[in-house]
Order: sequence, then structure tokens, then C-alpha cells
Amino acid sequence: MDPQNMQDMRTPLARAIGLGSAKEGVGAWWAERVSAVALVPLTLWLAASIIAHTGSDYATFIVWLRTPLTAILMILLLIALFYHTALGLQVVIEDYVHSGAKFATVIVVRLGCCALATAGVVATLRIAFSG
Amino acid sequence: MMPSPTTIRPRPLSPNLQIYRPQLTSVLSILNRITGMFLSACAVVLVVWLVAAAWGLQTYAPVQAAIASWIGRIVLFGATFAFFLHLCGGIRHLVWDTVHGFELRSIYISGWSVVAASVVLTIAAWVAGALMGG
Amino acid sequence: MIIKSSDQVPRATLLRRFPIPRNFGVAPESRIERGKAWPAPDGATRVKTFKIYRYDPGSGENPRLDTFGVDLDDCGPMVLDALIWIKNKVDSTLTFRRSCREGICGSCSMNIDGANWLACTRFISDLATPATIYPLANLRIIKDLVPDLTHLFAQYAAIEPWLKSKTAEPERERLQSAQERSKVDGYYECILCFCCTSGCPSHWWDGDRFFGPAVLLQAWRWLTDSRDEAKEERLDNLEDPFRLYRCHTILNCTRTCPKGLNPGKAIAEIKKKMIERRS
Repeated sequence: MDPQNMQDMRTPLARAIGLGSAKEGVGAWWAERVSAVALVPLTLWLAASIIAHTGSDYATFIVWLRTPLTAILMILLLIALFYHTALGLQVVIEDYVHSGAKFATVIVVRLGCCALATAGVVATLRIAFSG
Repeated sequence: MMPSPTTIRPRPLSPNLQIYRPQLTSVLSILNRITGMFLSACAVVLVVWLVAAAWGLQTYAPVQAAIASWIGRIVLFGATFAFFLHLCGGIRHLVWDTVHGFELRSIYISGWSVVAASVVLTIAAWVAGALMGG
Repeated sequence: MIIKSSDQVPRATLLRRFPIPRNFGVAPESRIERGKAWPAPDGATRVKTFKIYRYDPGSGENPRLDTFGVDLDDCGPMVLDALIWIKNKVDSTLTFRRSCREGICGSCSMNIDGANWLACTRFISDLATPATIYPLANLRIIKDLVPDLTHLFAQYAAIEPWLKSKTAEPERERLQSAQERSKVDGYYECILCFCCTSGCPSHWWDGDRFFGPAVLLQAWRWLTDSRDEAKEERLDNLEDPFRLYRCHTILNCTRTCPKGLNPGKAIAEIKKKMIERRS
């Protein structure tokens, strides 16, 4: 963007217009808000459950996780949480990283969130269906 | 940089973050971002905890011990505060998305309420946890 | 604690600036060096100290911070009066933009005590001691307190800020009810001083592609004008992850607007229209 770079002889208007509008962007914004609305009750439920189970031993904890309602809510939480996290971190990376590393970092973050969500869901299902 | 016919001394950039006054608006906004990034790390810990639990007591015990250690408790306290700050800040953002609460007076009242609510909720959560027998 | 309008100066401050070194992350040509000290004239009883950013493009030196002692008994009440006093009585090379001296032209926008405002509507008595005056943040400086606003005006041109119509021109006026006209209130009054855009951290980091609050407020001014018939192309032009969606509702813009306008709200209205047109 640096107008002092003598290689960049575009007019100021050309620089401001750049490559034009992408004509999309509302989808990601809306998805972040929808996942945020889902996360309000889900994370409060998780926080309350953790507080209620302070000092419980492993067996009690597994019995709680095995109940169908808990398993469903935990899976919903993992999906909403990692969707919201992936979108949020992508925005942060786009804000601060401007080199080619931006695309690589966004891909790593998105795929990492998919992987972690899957791992969490599989672990929850394993507990829910065991015993 | 040696001046030459094709290079000129660039104009200086006026200072931004170095001199701009921190205001409730910008401070709460960057805190929302910092807590969000910290909670992303906590999400990873959540998955590690679940996976450890799913694979039996032998994998679960060291994870639980790490969380229950004094350094784990400090991190957990910080995570609780970060969680409530991000939650209350997030609700404030959702209200803004309906185009309400944009008058400067409302911005400042909601901002200080977010800080107060986060402190109160964090203390309440830890008191409740202590009462539960942790 | 509770700011009710943007002209309120905070009575108490916990932090004047973020606790980072003064020249943190700054390119070599922008590093600010220690400057000259210009004492107040002899016999002056009420003296206010001003630290002012200086840059002389012809000297080949880096920018510096000069210290001036201003005789308040010899000078008007506003910061612009102090700058003019310094230019008349102390250092005539001090360079700044100014015109109307009444807060309507938008020329004298600068960073005063850490917040962007117009010099002609900021009282000297509201300032800290010493008072600090920098140019508008994150802009290339032509000289002293004069920033290069070319890119900001180019972004303004990019939103095509004029009435666009597809139907034939009416014989007399384009009709607009009083209620429709009131929708433009709070947006048409913008004087393009760019205090808001220069105070937006998102514009600092992504200003090459993010339009910024001033331009987006004007974009909303045209979107909400019932006489304009190009809503679809205006919204298409704005729907971009950078042009519009770098706004994270930081709200430094609304806090700093010297005309009391609300760019944050205008941007929220645009985002709401983006959702409405696809739901």
C-alpha cells in the first residue's frame, strides 16, 4: 500500500479500490453470531456442571458423562465452540498477518479446530456408549 | 537509506498505539480479543481432558492432577475470569448487533457493567466451587 | 467514569498511554527524537507547557517533540489559539491546517492529549500538564501537524458519495417525506475531519483495505437516503471481509467524534442491512 514505493504508481483511487469488493462476508459474520448465541447457554451449562462436580472422583464423573443429555449437550458444545473459535481466530489472523503466511495459518487453524472437535466428539461418544 | 534519483526519504508515520489514550472502548475490545484467544487454548485443554477421560483412569489421573495442582488452579481462576469477561462482552456485542445501546452514555454504562459482572460471577463461581467441596 | 458525550474530557486517568516504549515497533524514519525547548516570554504569569510533534521534510532529520511555554494571558482559550500564538510569537515555522476556527470545516483535526479532536473546539483549560499535541494517528506526515489524507479521501471517493438514480429526473424536486429526511440526520453533518478513522485500531492495522468509520458513515448516509436508487450496488460494494467487516465494534470512533456523531451505529446499521437483504 505504501505510496512511497516508487514501484507502485497507481492513482490513490486505484489503491483504495484494490481488487474490488469480494461481495461476500456476511456469511462468516452471521455464523459467528449464531454460534455465539448457542454458546451462551452451553458454556454456562458446562461451567455449572464443572462447579457442581468439584471434588468428584473419576467414577462419578464418568457416570455423569454417560447420561444421554450430558453427552448430547457436550457434543453440541464442542461443535459450536470450535466453529466459533475457528471463525474468531481467522479474523484475528487476517487482522494482524499480512504476508503469504496468512493463508497457511488460517488453513492450519481451521483444520486444527475440525480435528479437535472430532477428537472431543469421539471421546464423548466413547464414554457415552461404554459400559 | 541513501538518497538516489529513484529512492526518496519516506514520510514518517505519525504514532498510533504509542500515544493514543487507552479508553474504555478500546480497552474492553482488546480484552475481549485476548480472552477469546486464551479461551481457544482452554478449548484445547477441554478436548485433552475429555480424551483422557475416555481412555480410562490411567490417562485421566495425570491430567486431573495437573488441573488440581496449585499452578493449575491459578490458570483455572484466570480462565474463569476470562470466560466471564468474554461471555459478558460477547452479550454486549450481540446487543450492539441489533443496533441498540450505541449512545455514548449506554456504551460506558454497559462497559462498566461487563467488568463488574465478570468480577462478581468469577467470585461467585469459585465460592460455589469451594462450597461444593473442592 | 460514565462519558455522556464525546466532548467530555475524562476527569481522572489511570493510563495516559499504553505502557509500551515511545518508539515501539516504529520504522527508522518515524522515530521521534528529543526536540527543542522554547521558554515562555519574560513576565508571563500564567504559563502552559505544550509538547508538540515537529517534522521538517527539508532538514533530513527525524521527527521530534518540541516543548513550548505559552502565555495564557496573551492567548485565546482554545488549543488552536495556542498554536497560532506560538506561530506568531515564538516559532513561525510551526505548520498546521486551520480555517473556520469554529468546528465546522474539519481542517484542524489532530491528536490532543492522546485523543483525536479539533484544535479549535478543545479548551486549553481541559488539557493535562504538560499538554501533548501529535498529528492524527497513523498517517504519513507532510510537515509538523499536517498529515497526508490522500488515501482517506480516495476511500471516500470509492463509495461513490453522490445521489444515484435510475428513474428519469423529476420536473421539480425529488420527493421525500419529513420522516424519510430525518433518517439522514446524524450522518449528513459529518465534516470529514477523519478524527474517527485515525483513531480506529482496525484502520491502523488494515487501513489499506478497511474503509474506516468516516467513509462507512458516509456510505450509510447514502444507503439511508430514500432518494437514492442504488442500494443494491452500494451494499454489494461494501460486502467484503475487509472493506466493512474489519470493524469489530471497538467504538473509538464514536468516543472521539468532535461533532458528536455515531459512526459505530452507522456501521451496525449497514451490517444489519446486509443480513436483512438475504433473509
